[in-house]
Amino acid sequence: MNDSRTDSVLSTQHLGKTIGGRAILSDISVSLDRGDVVGVIGKNGAGKTTLLETVLGFSPATAGSSQIYGHDSFMLPAAVKSRVGFVPQQDDLMGMLTGKQQLGLVAALYGGWDSGLIDRLAGEWEVPLQQRIATLSGGERQKLSTLLALGHRPDLLVLDEPVSSLDPIARRRFLQQILEYTADQQRTVLFSSHIVSDLERVANRIWIIRDGQMIWQGDLDALKESVVRLHVRASQPLPASLDIPHTLFEQVTGTSAVVAVSHWEQSDPAAVSRRLNADIEVEALGLEDIFLELNR
Amino acid sequence: MFILKPELGIPIYRQLIDQVRRMVASGQLAPGTVLPSVRELADAHTVHPMTISKAYSQLEAEGLLERNRGKPMTVASSQKPQAGIAPRLKQIEPQVEQLVLASRQLDLREKDVTGLIKRKWEQDHE
Repeated sequence: MNDSRTDSVLSTQHLGKTIGGRAILSDISVSLDRGDVVGVIGKNGAGKTTLLETVLGFSPATAGSSQIYGHDSFMLPAAVKSRVGFVPQQDDLMGMLTGKQQLGLVAALYGGWDSGLIDRLAGEWEVPLQQRIATLSGGERQKLSTLLALGHRPDLLVLDEPVSSLDPIARRRFLQQILEYTADQQRTVLFSSHIVSDLERVANRIWIIRDGQMIWQGDLDALKESVVRLHVRASQPLPASLDIPHTLFEQVTGTSAVVAVSHWEQSDPAAVSRRLNADIEVEALGLEDIFLELNR
Repeated sequence: MFILKPELGIPIYRQLIDQVRRMVASGQLAPGTVLPSVRELADAHTVHPMTISKAYSQLEAEGLLERNRGKPMTVASSQKPQAGIAPRLKQIEPQVEQLVLASRQLDLREKDVTGLIKRKWEQDHE
């Protein structure tokens, strides 16, 4: 196990990225601790890929700063780079090589390549390593890219949409592997996905990006206790706006209303009920519904 | 042993806590029963181990579970199954509240709903 002086794996301070006058990311301050499995969600174009690529130092930030294992992202020493594995959304595999040849090329770049792990996973994931990469399916390419990023057993694994081409069985195997990889609480995984149910399963923390801003970061459990939908019913007509703090969305129709709120764990349901002279039923929301409410 | 549904609005650790509480109250988990390890449960359900350990820690703090150094988590020896019906009824109250609410929304009468409960109850034991 690598010696880690600090539990802070990755952090950013007011990170911003402007490309051609357009702000892709603004004022992002996040941190990642050892053992975390963090899921990043956001609509298409929200800035997920730019965030991952900027914190990994592929291109410089235009505002703020970010560090990996305490080193500036854009000037990572080789020793730190070798502790990071990345699976990009668009793979950069070489079509004319076989999977085995490509693995051999990458393995030669690193010390301590774990061919035992890679052979085992290639078997479990049914990746045809003897075939030319050009002939592989989208799902097989995705699995091969993940093997390439795992072979040097990175302490931080970053994956951009790693499962988009995988079938449900392959996705489940992949998630099991992620958990196995972090089971000793020494390694850290950061991954973006549109498949919210996957994140809901394995992530302990969630980052939600909207229009280049981080609108939520924290424990998945806390998120579920924070964002809820209220079903309000009164015997008299309700006001046009119920004025409930942290309202994300409200729809009032006569004597009933549906209101999505955040920070519900800080509120006093009985007081709200008394003020409105109405019954309030609280509907707990799954991550997909929470994401939709936060993006209305 | 447990039914965990990540897609529900109720956090997974809460689902686990509720189920352990109910099974201890009913005696289905008797004092001294060894629970699956954090790792085993996390693997079986493909969920982050912290989720399971969070539930176990909370149940341990409440005195429902206990763990001796180096030993697996067990149901605390002090936990007697709740012999009286009242404490067990209390455990199921939230579900009954949901049922009553849904029934009112559907404008159903009490006897129709209790009739349905009765039929379901008998079906399960046939």
